[in-house]
Amino acid sequence: MPSETILLDLAALLYLAAAGVAVIAAIAGKARDRTVLTLLAAALALHTGAIALRWLRLDHGPYVNLFEILSSNVWSLHLIALLASLGVRRLRGALVMTLPVLGVLVLWMMATPARDTAVPMTYQTIWLPVHMVLGKLFLGLVVMALGLCLVVVARRAFGWRLSHAPDCAEAEGLAHRVMLAAVVFQTLMLVAGAAWARDAWGRYWAWDPLESWAFLTWLAVLAYLHWRPRNQGATVLNAALVIGIYVIAFATFFGVPFVSLAPHKGAI
Amino acid sequence: MSGTGLKILRAVGSHGATLALLGLMALVVAAGLAFEIEVADWIVPPVAGLLVNLVAGLVGQATLRAQPMLFAFHAMLGVLALLVGLDRLTALNGHVEVVEGAMFDPALAVVEAGPLHPYALDQVAFVQGGFEIRYLPGMKRRETVSLLRVPDGAGQWREARVGDDDPLIVGNYRFYTSFNKGFAPVITYTGTDGRSVTGAVHMPSYPLRDFDQGNAWRPPGWGPERAPVKLWLHLPEPVYDPNTAWTFRKPSNPVLIVIEGEARQELLPGQAAALAGGGQIRFDELRAWMGYTITANLFNAWMMAVAITACLALAVHLWGKFQSQPAGSPAGTGVRHAE
Repeated sequence: MPSETILLDLAALLYLAAAGVAVIAAIAGKARDRTVLTLLAAALALHTGAIALRWLRLDHGPYVNLFEILSSNVWSLHLIALLASLGVRRLRGALVMTLPVLGVLVLWMMATPARDTAVPMTYQTIWLPVHMVLGKLFLGLVVMALGLCLVVVARRAFGWRLSHAPDCAEAEGLAHRVMLAAVVFQTLMLVAGAAWARDAWGRYWAWDPLESWAFLTWLAVLAYLHWRPRNQGATVLNAALVIGIYVIAFATFFGVPFVSLAPHKGAI
Repeated sequence: MSGTGLKILRAVGSHGATLALLGLMALVVAAGLAFEIEVADWIVPPVAGLLVNLVAGLVGQATLRAQPMLFAFHAMLGVLALLVGLDRLTALNGHVEVVEGAMFDPALAVVEAGPLHPYALDQVAFVQGGFEIRYLPGMKRRETVSLLRVPDGAGQWREARVGDDDPLIVGNYRFYTSFNKGFAPVITYTGTDGRSVTGAVHMPSYPLRDFDQGNAWRPPGWGPERAPVKLWLHLPEPVYDPNTAWTFRKPSNPVLIVIEGEARQELLPGQAAALAGGGQIRFDELRAWMGYTITANLFNAWMMAVAITACLALAVHLWGKFQSQPAGSPAGTGVRHAE
């Protein structure tokens, strides 16, 4: 039976290959959607195997240390990118931006020691998987919106052609719609997180660093959604706002849990 | 409503005001992160402002009213803000330490309650039984199982098992075990008049303050002008090895060190010694104490229901929008907003 490590290494190679093909095809002015999506599907299949083996060995899902969180997010974000691209054809043109961004996560994951973990007691509640799934859906949609907005910025700021991507107005409009869907999952994620905190620590909100950052991300999304309808013409600015939201969300998901000693870290 | 009134209403309920207040709220949260200010206090003004902005928007924005699910989402947000306010006024948070074999004493609980909290901690009764805490190598705390005896309402006592995520629920109150626990020497003091009093002195949290197992104790009848007696717990054999898995337990050979000024006496369980200041102290036995976090949130279920209703309303609203304006259509790039 192949080991977790071999499966993960192969999956990482295929993720990076998908990103590489998307970029090279864009530079060459050609569409290689089918190749990119096939590579993504193969990478996801291998990665699923690696996660399943680790899950069986440790008897818990990938959500305790940095490696596990990176691994589960690399998996879920690529899965959302794949499914969204299959469902909405116009999103495929943004994979040239989305996949390299996710490629950075892949490299980070591969550089992070895959230490074994034990689940903190406060993680043993039904609200945790609900909270996590909603969080991954939210972040996945933000990453899709990010890809679209990077297309806008790359064209306007750097003059890139990206002929197979949606035009700037359409890309920015699609990003807005994706963000509208994202806010639903984000709000539900906060509600499920509060229910988890109530179960785990007896309080639903305590302004710990992760809660504060998650709330800031929510405020940023709300502000963007209130700003954008009256400023539809400001394509580049709107795209920059979505990129800013991604930066805050990225810090919330991948920074704060590992630099604070708050309960969210599962401090024991 | 007059033209001026309508103008004011629209200004108060405008998107610009919403954005400004969201920005103010973000500033407060960011300041909380940067300077560790109490966000819960400082966030009240922007929340109140947003509530006013929301109500003005709901009343003054015709297009918002024309979109019932979007209206419902915003209205639910307003209700949620009010419920959070009510919760803050009626909530209770606190902590207490209870020694093995002793009744929960509400007078010993350190609590912080909202001004409208219907205090009923004095109606809570339970007796602390034993407890078990497992640790993994590297001092990683695992399950805590604390056994309590709780009145069953029919004149009998039932056993309850409580943990970090498995509270004892009595009325509005929830008692969770916390990381906080330790040892408590039970001592009997016999005064110069021959009267004896028995009690437990809680030592600092263990193993968190492993090397600080001491406390000051003033015997009954000693006035504040007399220096308290210092009690130290000496554990000759280590209770745990941080590099291996272990279970919290009371040490088998505790020594109670009694210090009065320069005088120092060591007592094993069952031994007694005379105090220079008068009277006698006997070290009866060593027990453990468990720390509990106490919470009471009266509006949790309502807040949850309203929050989920709000999310559903927003989802239905967006679903309708996406259905009527497919991606890529000229109108499909934005959601029409209230003017």
